[in-house]
Amino acid sequence: MSEEEAYEFVKGTLKKERITPYTEDEIPVINSVSACINCGLCINHCPVVAAVGVDVFSGPRSIAVELSRSPPEYWATADKVYLCTGCGTCREVCPKNVDIPEVVNIVRRRIFEHRPDLVPKGLHAVRETLRTHNLAFEPWADIKEKNESREMRLERLELPLVPDRHVSDAEVLFYPGCQAEERSQEVREAAKIILDHFGVNYTLLEDMTCCGLPARLIGDDATARSLTEKLKRDVLATGVRKVLTTCAGCTGNLSHISERDHWDIPTQHLLEFLVEDVGMERLAESLGKGTKHEDVTVTVHDPCHLTRHASRHIMDYALEILSLIPGVRVSASALHDSCCGGGGMVSYHSSEVANAVVSENLVAIDATGAERLVTPCPLCTAQIESNLFKAGSSVEVDDLIVFIAQMLPKE
Amino acid sequence: MTEDCYDVVVVGGGSTGTAVARDCAMRGLRTLLLERDDIASATVGTCAGMISSGLKYMDEPEIVDMCSQEVVHFNHIARHIIMKNPILTPMLEMSDLSTGGNFAEEYSKRAATRDVPPVLFLTPEDSRAIEPSLHPDIIASMYFEEFFIDPFRLCLLQALDTRVHGGEVRTYCEVLRIAKDPDSKCYSVDFYDRTTGEMGTVLTRTVVNAAGPWAPRVAKSAGATVEIRPNKGAHVIFDRRIVNVGVVTKAVDGRMIYLFPHENTTLLGTTALDSWEDPDTLVATQDEIEYLIKSIEFVVPRIREARIIRTMEGVRPLIPTWKIPEGEVSRGYEVIDHESEGKPGIYSFTGGKLVMARHMAEAVTDLVCKRLGVDEPCRTHEKPLPGNEEDVDIEELAREYGVSLHALERMRARRGTEVREILEMTREHPEWKTTICTCEPVIEAEIRYSIREEFPQTLNDLRRRVRLGTGTCQGTFCTYKAAAILAEELGLESDDYLVDILDFRAERWKGIRPVIRGEQLAQEELAQGMYACVGNLDQSDIEYEMKPWEEGM
Amino acid sequence: MHMETEVLVIGGGLAGLVAGTRAAEAGHRVLLVQKGHGATAYSSGAFDVIGYLPDALEPVANPVEGLSVLAQVYPLHPYSIAGFPVDVESGGESAVVLALVSETVEWLKDRLDKTPAALSGGLDSNLVAMTVLGTTKPTCLLQKSMVSIPEMEGEEDGVLLFAGVRGYADFAPGAAAKVFLRDRMMNKKYPQKIAHCQVRVSPSGTDYNISGVEIARHLDHPGSIDSLAKELAVYIDQFGATDVALPPVLGIQNAISNKEALEERLGVRVFELLGLPPSVPGLRLQNSLEQMYLESGGALLRGHEVVSYTMEGDRLISVQTKGPSREIQISAQAFVLATGKFIGGGLSGDKDGVREIVFDLMSVTGEFVSAEEASPSRSTSKLAVSPLGQPVLSNGVSVDSFLRPVKRNGLEWTTNLFSAGSIIAGYNYATEKSGLGVAATTGYTAALRVTEYLKEVAQNE
Repeated sequence: MSEEEAYEFVKGTLKKERITPYTEDEIPVINSVSACINCGLCINHCPVVAAVGVDVFSGPRSIAVELSRSPPEYWATADKVYLCTGCGTCREVCPKNVDIPEVVNIVRRRIFEHRPDLVPKGLHAVRETLRTHNLAFEPWADIKEKNESREMRLERLELPLVPDRHVSDAEVLFYPGCQAEERSQEVREAAKIILDHFGVNYTLLEDMTCCGLPARLIGDDATARSLTEKLKRDVLATGVRKVLTTCAGCTGNLSHISERDHWDIPTQHLLEFLVEDVGMERLAESLGKGTKHEDVTVTVHDPCHLTRHASRHIMDYALEILSLIPGVRVSASALHDSCCGGGGMVSYHSSEVANAVVSENLVAIDATGAERLVTPCPLCTAQIESNLFKAGSSVEVDDLIVFIAQMLPKE
Repeated sequence: MTEDCYDVVVVGGGSTGTAVARDCAMRGLRTLLLERDDIASATVGTCAGMISSGLKYMDEPEIVDMCSQEVVHFNHIARHIIMKNPILTPMLEMSDLSTGGNFAEEYSKRAATRDVPPVLFLTPEDSRAIEPSLHPDIIASMYFEEFFIDPFRLCLLQALDTRVHGGEVRTYCEVLRIAKDPDSKCYSVDFYDRTTGEMGTVLTRTVVNAAGPWAPRVAKSAGATVEIRPNKGAHVIFDRRIVNVGVVTKAVDGRMIYLFPHENTTLLGTTALDSWEDPDTLVATQDEIEYLIKSIEFVVPRIREARIIRTMEGVRPLIPTWKIPEGEVSRGYEVIDHESEGKPGIYSFTGGKLVMARHMAEAVTDLVCKRLGVDEPCRTHEKPLPGNEEDVDIEELAREYGVSLHALERMRARRGTEVREILEMTREHPEWKTTICTCEPVIEAEIRYSIREEFPQTLNDLRRRVRLGTGTCQGTFCTYKAAAILAEELGLESDDYLVDILDFRAERWKGIRPVIRGEQLAQEELAQGMYACVGNLDQSDIEYEMKPWEEGM
Repeated sequence: MHMETEVLVIGGGLAGLVAGTRAAEAGHRVLLVQKGHGATAYSSGAFDVIGYLPDALEPVANPVEGLSVLAQVYPLHPYSIAGFPVDVESGGESAVVLALVSETVEWLKDRLDKTPAALSGGLDSNLVAMTVLGTTKPTCLLQKSMVSIPEMEGEEDGVLLFAGVRGYADFAPGAAAKVFLRDRMMNKKYPQKIAHCQVRVSPSGTDYNISGVEIARHLDHPGSIDSLAKELAVYIDQFGATDVALPPVLGIQNAISNKEALEERLGVRVFELLGLPPSVPGLRLQNSLEQMYLESGGALLRGHEVVSYTMEGDRLISVQTKGPSREIQISAQAFVLATGKFIGGGLSGDKDGVREIVFDLMSVTGEFVSAEEASPSRSTSKLAVSPLGQPVLSNGVSVDSFLRPVKRNGLEWTTNLFSAGSIIAGYNYATEKSGLGVAATTGYTAALRVTEYLKEVAQNE
């Protein structure tokens, strides 16, 4: 055999034995998982275990000491590993900060490669959408209908329509993410309103494409990489010095890929930009003038992708901003930082699990006596809103960015 | 009184002893195996489990032929406990190639019979694509394929098959004396039963001494002589598969060592030092540990980042050839017929390797049969070992019984078709679907099945059968849970329950202590927190028997 | 991103949270940065102060006696160092140490009183707690859902029922019953009528693979205690039980009220046993301590690890912390290092030695020689579990009489870094049964020293 034939043969054997070599960026994750001492603290805090029990979801502990140890048998983890919402609560409480959410992705990657028949059907559907449209949601076929939907939402929320901004000398890029682009358009609009109000020199992308997080969560490494490559090209072509987003999932993912792929520009959630760049003084001035939220009690939900994939202090910003709005009282939920179940793509194939995860949150939300719930993530918003509705609750849900935009004086 | 006479008593329950007992029983001989500890508790229990086609024996082509054929037999009779071991031998210098020379030829000649490719050569780029952790400066690598077998399962299945064919297996029975019985033409074998504390005697026409490192002692107890060259070897074990394929390389002193991913761990081995220490007291030394790590570091530079969970140390009973380096000692085996010493019907082994166990058994069983006038052919290479009868559909079973896929897959790797019987137990006792060892994982049903069918006396014995406590936490969490199950199944007293816990902690610590560092320090703090701080077992007043390796602080 | 505070506590276990709370109560602005949970969250429900003196084979008669001996005979034990008399007229070493530990314990009992981790007991006597293994251990305080065995010893006709939960493998009532019975017979104490049973608590509808936290969460829901009571009643009746021992899963929030409800309904004493990780009592303790800290006005930053620091002269100025994907620089006037041992991540070891992770402070063994070149495997005992313990677990940083980590020359590394908890060398909490007591006392004391330091700094300015 020639050397090329030899290599092909060996690759074939590895494929038959279901072995996929670890890549460079997987090795630090595997090293972190090696630190697990099997103590099970993660089990005490995992929201999926809390919802469905250790028998259904053996939990982060088992993922660390058991499910991630035997590469040729990764396929045998398929009945557990897709139930992880990726919230990162386990990693945060772990004495060793074992990186369970990332090892879940590594395992899913291998199942996708070697046993795609075991990947839940609902995920294949999303994958198709990603590969066809470079978006995680099916885009509107008719742009007119998309705009009509947008106008209806803006009208209901009493928000003005600010024109899109595409400039070549922008300082920052505003990246709404797939959900705000194609579904929760009010979030995209609200961000524009805010950026416009504070005179930020921002631009949008001509072609808004997915940051790749859903592909990573499905285990489709190839699609994830091609999406992140495209996004890097498009982002760097704008020449901006910072990327802003209104989606917690995008915040976490963009922070990860911008470092991994050497974008060399920071990515932030809009909340961070508002507090750190615009500043509390200007915020106080602008928010103090608005009249929309005269007398309302709100409760806040902390998106896991902000608190546990970016940093906890970002939600301190949310509270600081809310404190600037006269007439708004914050009533903290005992489970404000407990996962809403919307992550990890769980709701695409096991919605009963995702909804079981959020069910305790609903009780705690109810106990706050708040009329509204605000959260800076369209995914959490959708998940909590639909579950509150199903539970017959009167609590209404707003994306925090929309809530803030509503407070700004109208020009 | 010849009616109470066994045809053969086999001393030693390692790979050879259990193979002999199986062959004898299958040929209709009245067979008894006496093992002073547990099945596979010595040499074969501390080896890597490789059934190699002869990396070491290229200078002995007949042996290579034999091993190659034995691999084929194993694949037939024990397919369910065999795993493929693809191996890369990376080379950093041209001189690394010359060691390969003869090997590649000899290996490739017989490759087709074992259904593996001939030795292949890969470019450095391709090598690193297959195994990214290899050193960037490698110039090429050689690729070939070998097989692993689970040594514990092999020995246990051979023992169980012995019983199936009417033979008896008794563990914790130490042979003390073998003497000609004055009243018959048989030998009387006196032994001490460590579980009951009682002495026993049986009569037998023949004795096969398969006691490995203790072969000289057993021979002496029969008034015969056996000499071996005892040679110890250590392994370092990592918590998970840290390389994708096996890596073989030249060690610090030019010997070959290996880093093999093995089930859900990785084994780094092995050393070879002549040693006359009592095998029961041996633990891996700092020299051996650093020797192994330093050696593999040449080709896997980031090895020190990986987590080591334990070490193990065992003794090889080599054929006594002196004044040559250990590496030049033949790895074949010898059968000694003690007739020349006036002890006809007593046979001893020296040398041998795991892969030859069945062949060794056949050779000596032929002798025994000839002596007894029994004319039965050997069929040990034809009849599959228990559990290997057919494939098992894990996904179907997971659905039917509601047990996790991974737990079943790991169980299947150990037991093949026995999985079904174990799951049947959960119909009446659904609570036995509970995971007891979370590292592996092992469910309660498998533990109870093993206790009922596979005669473990201690948690350590259970460990050999179900891999309890072999994971990253090294039994921190499963020890007390499994001890309660063992106590219940065997009806043990409370002292025994606590002693079982302490004994297993001691046995695990034996392997952890020499190499404790990094994450295992946190693991040990946790274990101390549980068993000492909370459980207060450090202050327990139960009678704890010091283990051989614990004596002499 | 930059934050500024007066007192920065590094580490969010019992030591750090006590230090932070005490400092906040003293009026300081406190920020506590927590990388993850640690050994505190594994707590069995017992609060150890001193169970056994170093190398002892008998428990101390009571913590007061134990502490007195430590103060006189083991001057480098953390209790002794914490209680180092700054004022020699205060009545001798023992008196000072006792006063300090007593103050700490009373303070902590008070702060935890309305929480799920409320404690009963005191320094003047050791309680004897029972574990899920059926063994017993001396301890100082117990969570109120638990009971000290001597309370049962008066009843000659007492019948103790160990009740396990089917499918919950962390507690085997049969094994525990046998172990405890043996203990009773050997020590000629009551109760000597022991029974065991399994009840069904099925939070997710199955009878297998049930974790403690699921049971506890389930029992927190109002009304769920009813079916447990019904099941227990059957066995209590069958065995004539007067006392029922349960694994520590009676609830996360409501264990104490659940215990009381069961006692009222069943007419017998009901209590929880000490549990092994991942324990619910530990969860209660960790949650309650964090709540206590937040209520005192302290700020908590989770998920961040200190990765570097800046110094100016002999003072620590700031630290750099790393979160999941953000970095925050935190400057402070005074710092408390309460990072734990190997579990908590304060110390790490490789084949050659043991190192302190955050500031690379000098690390020492329990004998106060350098641990940096002391191979961990040589700092261990051949015996896995014995009163000798594992010497490597006594490693840590050496501190001066103000609880400040010191350098090789014995002087403080900086004037404003203090230390608390198991990062401190010189004791073995697993064999002494002294973990939470040392953590709380050194945490409490560190806060006092911080206040003194800041007052001094303010005066000098």
